[in-house]
Amino acid sequence: MDLRLNEDQSMMKKVAADFLKAEAPPYAITEWFQKKNVFIPELYKKTAEVGWLGMMIPDEYGGGGASCVDCAVVFEELGRGPLPGPYFSSGVLAAEIILTGGSQVQKKTLLPEICNGRSIVIPALSDDPIQWGAKSVQTRLSRTAMGFTLNGTKRFVYDGDSATNFICAARVESGGVVLALVNRNAPGVSVRPAAGFMIGAVEVHFENVAITADNFVGDWEVVERALIKALPILCAYKVGACQEIFEMTNEYTRTRVVFGQPIGRFQRVQDHCVDISIHLDGARWITYETLWKIDSSMEAAANVHQAKAVASEAYYQSCNLSHMVFAGPGTDYKHPLMAHSVLAHTLYQYLGTPLYHKRAMVDALYPRTAKDNAA
Amino acid sequence: MDFSVQPDTPEISAFRKEVRDWLAENMRGSEHLRWSARWSTRENDEEYQFRRQLARKLGEKRWLFPTYPVQYGGAGLTLDHQFVLETEIDRYGLALGSIFYTLARLVAPAVLKFGTEEQKLEFLPPMLRGELAVWQVLTEPQGGSDVANCLTKAIRDGDDYIVNGQKIMVGHHLPPDFVWTLVCTNPGGKRHENLSWLHIPANLPGITIQHLHLMMGIKNAVFFDNVRVPAKYLVGGENNGWKVANSYLELEHGGGGSVSENPLFKRLIAHCQKTEFDGESLMEDQDVRDVIGDMLIDMDVQRLMGLRNFWHRYVRDPHPYGGPQFLYFQRMVRLRNSERVQQILGFDALAPDPSVHEEADFEYTVRSGPGWLHGGGTLDTDRLIIARRLGLGRPSQESAPTTV
Repeated sequence: MDLRLNEDQSMMKKVAADFLKAEAPPYAITEWFQKKNVFIPELYKKTAEVGWLGMMIPDEYGGGGASCVDCAVVFEELGRGPLPGPYFSSGVLAAEIILTGGSQVQKKTLLPEICNGRSIVIPALSDDPIQWGAKSVQTRLSRTAMGFTLNGTKRFVYDGDSATNFICAARVESGGVVLALVNRNAPGVSVRPAAGFMIGAVEVHFENVAITADNFVGDWEVVERALIKALPILCAYKVGACQEIFEMTNEYTRTRVVFGQPIGRFQRVQDHCVDISIHLDGARWITYETLWKIDSSMEAAANVHQAKAVASEAYYQSCNLSHMVFAGPGTDYKHPLMAHSVLAHTLYQYLGTPLYHKRAMVDALYPRTAKDNAA
Repeated sequence: MDFSVQPDTPEISAFRKEVRDWLAENMRGSEHLRWSARWSTRENDEEYQFRRQLARKLGEKRWLFPTYPVQYGGAGLTLDHQFVLETEIDRYGLALGSIFYTLARLVAPAVLKFGTEEQKLEFLPPMLRGELAVWQVLTEPQGGSDVANCLTKAIRDGDDYIVNGQKIMVGHHLPPDFVWTLVCTNPGGKRHENLSWLHIPANLPGITIQHLHLMMGIKNAVFFDNVRVPAKYLVGGENNGWKVANSYLELEHGGGGSVSENPLFKRLIAHCQKTEFDGESLMEDQDVRDVIGDMLIDMDVQRLMGLRNFWHRYVRDPHPYGGPQFLYFQRMVRLRNSERVQQILGFDALAPDPSVHEEADFEYTVRSGPGWLHGGGTLDTDRLIIARRLGLGRPSQESAPTTV
């Protein structure tokens, strides 16, 4: 047993922290969120240079060949920002989908482009926002004389604004789901921002978009397999965010004075900080154990669902608890807490809610009977 | 990062085999026994005698306190060896630190750290050999969590201390050999600077013990009426008791960590799988599955917090707030589980089942949820300690004491 980071990982953590301090200081991040201008192309290029895009992709495809824990260490620091942008959605999730389901040609051409930042591939998976998963895929793929066409609307595509390509999940006539690569500039593709209490989401509309056979990246199973490695990285990002909220909130209890004393002397205020610590550490250790299991090639499907449920809930609740401490000032979009608060709500929904993943965890451990499946 | 809990080197692996074989031999005859939880309400004498004997046998092997120095009755082994013993005994549903009803696991570290050489040589060996039942006698009726508000007086008289006062909420259903007692040796002295610890033989005249029948089992009130205690039983120096308490209580406050598995969850799953209602197994019911999902998350977080604390203790780098955080979380999880089994089982949750380990018994689960909201302080004192360790509202953070 050794619950420390190794030397390389500690170094990566420090590099990431220094990078953020220099390139994305808190006031800049707060402003990006406030203006909903969360994709910063110059910054994205720089992160490609330090090797944060496609970290877990093998060297032969231009990636870093890193372990899950290595990659998570960096993403935990990014989450402290929280640094917005398609670092996860393209650099981790899309890259894993292509690595898992892509043809040799797709891997050879697209993966190096993802890793050097020239291509930003964004998964556009569910249509029906009520529930995540294959069931929510409604965009249709139809056969034509020339090949195939896509028709449908993905209402909330996270990081979609930055996309050069989409991986679009579509339902075929037989009822199954396939994944298709679509160029963002292809005729029939339109993108518009999704307004509301969320960040980075856009609506992507596909109207008679032509697809050829070499655009397919496999079926929904590919998404599920890619998520095993990808989701815990997103969880690490949320853990970093919780850590930042925890420290920011604790510090405020020392400096904010009312009724003649720092608010941290009030036990009711202390309780909120204690509860953040529970959410933070719960998410941290569930996530770390999951990462370790994956790196050790152990069965981890249930752990991944558990981590997603716990980390999303932790991020969301940590924001709420922090709001209890910061009160009025914390609700100003100019306050650093607001970037977290908006993002925590967005990531609560992204790739499945805590309830969805909690149920998936139980289903993975204790499958329902065949009779029930038939019904 | 490595979570594997069996980092066995060839030496450790050989030791594990030795322990496993030894336990297979010495646990024989216990197959029909269903262990009580740490403080039993079952009062099963056959079980108690078996555990008492087991502790003696482990003590003879010097395995009860394996890392303690040889001259005091330990084996001078490493924490790796201790870890092997803890995990192997856990396979039988028992814990190394509470083979039978004694708090030696808390008292021995204090004596080891603060006792004189003479005291260590006299007090430790019988404790480490598993021969003695020791109680921690700390709480007072008016003091409760406010431990420093200690009214039990110990006034020096020649070579003795004369002890007068009352303690409460201590011990279990069978009498102790020693009572490890916090006393006030300087009434009117400054708070935190007037306390001392006495390792008092329980058979001294003037000590009366009365049962209290509580939600989670039997505890006691202990009365001291002009008890004459020889001064050699004072450990850690006169009026230095607060420092002694602060150091070793971190163990009671969760800082020791935990590697054991809780048997409750497994049993609940088995119950849901075999119990049918309205034509289908409970395990098929989505509401039941949701409760189980919440419970599993809570128990995994608790397990990992315990593992984290164990590791911090192992590398001698105390986690700043991990001890009280674990304890607070554990209390809350126990309370939530208390309701969860009621949600799933209905009235059955209120009926005990003596055919299972008490820790896995649903009725015990229900009762111990609210019952164990205190013990080693309340959940509010847990939070208070966390807040100090985090330095909330303070310029500096209190550091966690090193556990022994």
